[in-house]
Amino acid sequence: MREHTEAIRPPRALWVTFELGRPLGAPDDPPFQRRVVKAALDLLARTDAPLIADYAEHVPEVTDFTGWACPINLAPTTIDSLAAEIDRLASWYDRARTKLDRTTVGVSGLDMSTAGALVSQALDGELPPAQALKEATDDLRAYYLEAAAAFPDPGSARTRKEWLWSETRLGQSLLALQPKLAASADPQHKILGNLTLIPATERWRLAGK
Amino acid sequence: MVKRLSDMPEVEAMHLRRIECPTYDDTPALPGKPLDQRRVVIISTAGLHKRGDRPFRPGDGSYRIIPAETPANELVMSHISVNFDRTGFQQDLNVAFPIDRLRELVADGTVGAMASVHYSFMGAFPPAAAEPHAAHLAGLLKADGVDAALLVPV
Repeated sequence: MREHTEAIRPPRALWVTFELGRPLGAPDDPPFQRRVVKAALDLLARTDAPLIADYAEHVPEVTDFTGWACPINLAPTTIDSLAAEIDRLASWYDRARTKLDRTTVGVSGLDMSTAGALVSQALDGELPPAQALKEATDDLRAYYLEAAAAFPDPGSARTRKEWLWSETRLGQSLLALQPKLAASADPQHKILGNLTLIPATERWRLAGK
Repeated sequence: MVKRLSDMPEVEAMHLRRIECPTYDDTPALPGKPLDQRRVVIISTAGLHKRGDRPFRPGDGSYRIIPAETPANELVMSHISVNFDRTGFQQDLNVAFPIDRLRELVADGTVGAMASVHYSFMGAFPPAAAEPHAAHLAGLLKADGVDAALLVPV
């Protein structure tokens, strides 16, 4: 945050305008990333501290294809379940992992069906410890978004996040879980429910908002 | 690498404004060696760690170690915040943890050398929670011969 950097006054800071979570700007663009790293390291030669240098390059907003929809019908139905949804995304997830030779799933140590079962159990009123639930839901979100990136028409990161929250059983489950966590007597459940389960940008979807 | 509160959803910006931001005495920016003679470490606050290492927890001010030779597929993220993009990191870890870029800058002679071990904190902790860990880490960096740190927040 610019405001925090101005208050903390580190000796040297490079100010970039990129999306939070992408401090080097653009994925899969080594020359761009190298320029950012070099600009930051070049500040080492300056002694007029504390300084905040403005980085000149910006990452343009990705143009979304309006009306982008998941190419296969993954929307939940009344007879659908979170477990079935997780299962049918497995081949897409495997495809993504093979393509990138990498996955960011694996914080919880659970396989995805077990992580899903933990969410279902919580929805049924039996809340697991907050940390276990947090790790499971973070893994599930990474699993879904990595899987969706391997769809034949993957859209953009933004449309895939929109898909997760508006069209999937997982999105519905997390939104349904929020009030149960917020109402728990356990302060860790409250933190999860009120701050670290639903992104601020998606909280408007919560019932009663 | 920082962004403005006004760019954020109001709910999250309000939450961040409520958190007390400490002030510090200015640290002098000392002249040092040229970049091509420096040994650089990356210190992230993205909550990164090796798969199987201890996930970060709320209020956790400790760090995890990321040896320079860690394969990309071994790195996961357990930051408590859900209010920053993770899809960039999922696609290319260098967008949050530019280890391959630093390696290239060392290879072409722009940077002198790379630390043998890099580090990640989580961020989103009270500064006092990190203080003993940061002090310990400073000693380790000296022992590793590091004389420049690239701090990369998310």
